[in-house]
Formats: sequence, C-alpha cells, structure tokens
Amino acid sequence: MKSVPVKVEHEGKWVPTTMGIAEDRFRIDAPLNREIPYKSVVDLEEKKNQVLVTVGANGEGVYRIASVEKVLQILKKFVITQASAYRLNAFFMSPAIRGGVLVKNAQWEKGVIAVMKTGIWFVSQDKQVCIPLDEVTGIELTSREIQEKDLDVVKIDHLIENEVVTSFVLCPLTTLQVLYNFLKEATHDTEVSEELDPLTGQVAMLVYSGMDSSTIENMLKLSHRDLDAIYEKLLGSGLAEVLYVRKEVQLTPKGVRYISESVKSPMD
Amino acid sequence: MGRILIVDDTMFMRTLLKNILFSGGHDIVGEAADGAEAVARYQELKPDLVTMDVVMPKMNGIEALKAIKAADPAAKVIMCTAVGQEQMVKLAVKSGAKGYIVKPFQAPKVLEEVKSVLSA
Repeated sequence: MKSVPVKVEHEGKWVPTTMGIAEDRFRIDAPLNREIPYKSVVDLEEKKNQVLVTVGANGEGVYRIASVEKVLQILKKFVITQASAYRLNAFFMSPAIRGGVLVKNAQWEKGVIAVMKTGIWFVSQDKQVCIPLDEVTGIELTSREIQEKDLDVVKIDHLIENEVVTSFVLCPLTTLQVLYNFLKEATHDTEVSEELDPLTGQVAMLVYSGMDSSTIENMLKLSHRDLDAIYEKLLGSGLAEVLYVRKEVQLTPKGVRYISESVKSPMD
Repeated sequence: MGRILIVDDTMFMRTLLKNILFSGGHDIVGEAADGAEAVARYQELKPDLVTMDVVMPKMNGIEALKAIKAADPAAKVIMCTAVGQEQMVKLAVKSGAKGYIVKPFQAPKVLEEVKSVLSA
C-alpha cells in the first residue's frame, strides 16, 4: 500500500500524517491508526481540498481528510465505487443547463452513480461530480431526444454556489424508476406543497432571476411595504431566506448641514 | 454591447429580460408580443440580437425565427422557452438559432449567453 502525505482532523485539530490507499481499503497512520474497508463507508462529502468519510451504518467513524486534489480523487473513486450505497451504471450529463442556459458541448458520459447519505456522486473516467441532496431543487422523470430517439431520463435540478444547474441521468427505465423514487424520498423535505398567489409567484420568479428589491418594486409597481409583506410570505413558507437587511436612512440636521456646507463654493 | 429586440407574449417576461439586459449595458431597441410582430419589428429596427420566446400566439417563435433568417441570414436570435420544451432546441438550431435559454433563467447566465452570441 503506497503512502501519501495528508492532514487529518484529530481531536479538533489538523494533524499531518500519511495515508495508504489500496484496492479494497485505505489506512490512516498515527495518531489515528485506522484501516478502513471502502465497503464500510456509508457517506462521502467533499469541500475544497477536503473529504469527509463516514463509516458504519450509524456513522460510528467520521474522518476528515485534507490533501492535494490528485490524492483525494483516487480516494474518492475507490470509495464511490465500493462504498455501501445504492449504485448503478449509467450515462450522465452534468451540467447540461446552467442558470437557464444550455451548456454548449455538454456530453453524455459513461460512469457510475452512487447515491449516498448526503449526496449523489457521478464518477466517470475523468470526472467526479457530487450533488449534495440538500442542494437538490427538483427531480423529474422525463424524456429527452438522444440520437434521434426519445429516451427516458431523470432530470436533477440543483444549486452550485447559488447557480441553478440541471443534470441528466440515462439508464434502463426500471433502474431510472428506482433512482427517481429514491431521490424523491431523499429530498422529500424540500418538496413544495403550498400554492403561491400570482403576485407572490412573480416576486419569487424575479428573486430567482437575480433581481434586487428596488428593481422588483419598480417592475411590479409595488411599495416597499407591499414587497416586505410578500417577502414575509416567502420567508414564512420556507421558500426564501434573508440574505441581508438593507437600511434606508435620512439625514439628521447635522448631516444636512454637512451636505449644505460641502456644496458651498470657496467664494461663498 | 448590443441593440436588442425582445420577443415574448407576456409583459412580465419582457420586463424581466429588459431589466437583465439593461443591467448588462445593452440597449433595448424594441419589444414584440408575437411572432408576426417580431418579424415586422426586426425589419424596421435591424437589431444586433433578438431574444425570441417559442410559444406565442399568431406566429410561434420557430416560424418567426425562420422568417427573420430568410430575410437576413446573418440575424442573431436566442430562443427562450419554458422547462420541458428542450426538445425544441434541435428544431431551433436547425432553423438558425444561435443560442437557447430555458425559463426560469438567472441573470448572469443570460448575459453570458448574449455576450457570447453577440461576439460570435
């Protein structure tokens, strides 16, 4: 087992150590001294130059590992293809649409899909894509024209740094149905049950498109108070969250005096 | 920056696109609410780019695209349609569309697409 330098989180601190990666397991050296079979892994999360590996059905072990991208890619590939997860061979296209714009040259890639506790992983020869389940904004079983034929696909809408991205999965219909049901269940918490009135729907659409409050007020001819009331509805139904609170101010007499004096010419 | 004609049968969508494109420094030279009006406005205004809704009354976006391309083969048109109508992409591209956006869309991506089509 070849060893590579990594950092692991141990007792709340990052500790330099080495990690060995074999075909069926990986090893983290002192101070952890753990050997972990990939099949015991139940979840894999990633952040920039870090992965979080959860082991055991009840999350008995959680290992946070930081290293260079190449090392993490090898580890992720072994984990995704062998971990205890719902896994299927499929074609995927990710991203296919970004922010409503079709991605030029987006292609179907052959690979493995693993559905883990907190995310869906796509792995192909040269790509590893993770869609965290809490970032999924829509799941749909639909059809798409591929090589002149209408084929069934699962369409997954998700967020990447506030950008809405659409990815597609293609595999036999029976497997697609299982994947679709699994994802529907896993993302049940974000399903929308409430109906919005037309005006609130329009405000939500404008927020989605990136319009700020002032633009929305002008576009829909709304007062500040009206828009605030609509925002409250969106906040109350969990469809929106407060990004920041902006202040509207007026000048005090001292402020007015400052401005009046600042515009006086030197001759006055 | 370009002179843009916005074509959509809903005023809400036209206003949204107008705001997005204006914020990107483009001039909105005109608007049309159906395909037939789009063709007439194109002849009159000769814009640098058209954003064209697909589903519209009187003449749909694909027919309007074909009419505009027949009159001006160099016309730059970005098609704009709702989720679930992505199968229209092939037909639109075959008919000469230079880009395609799917509603709902996000402003930065729309501006990127417009920039890319204008500079092509």
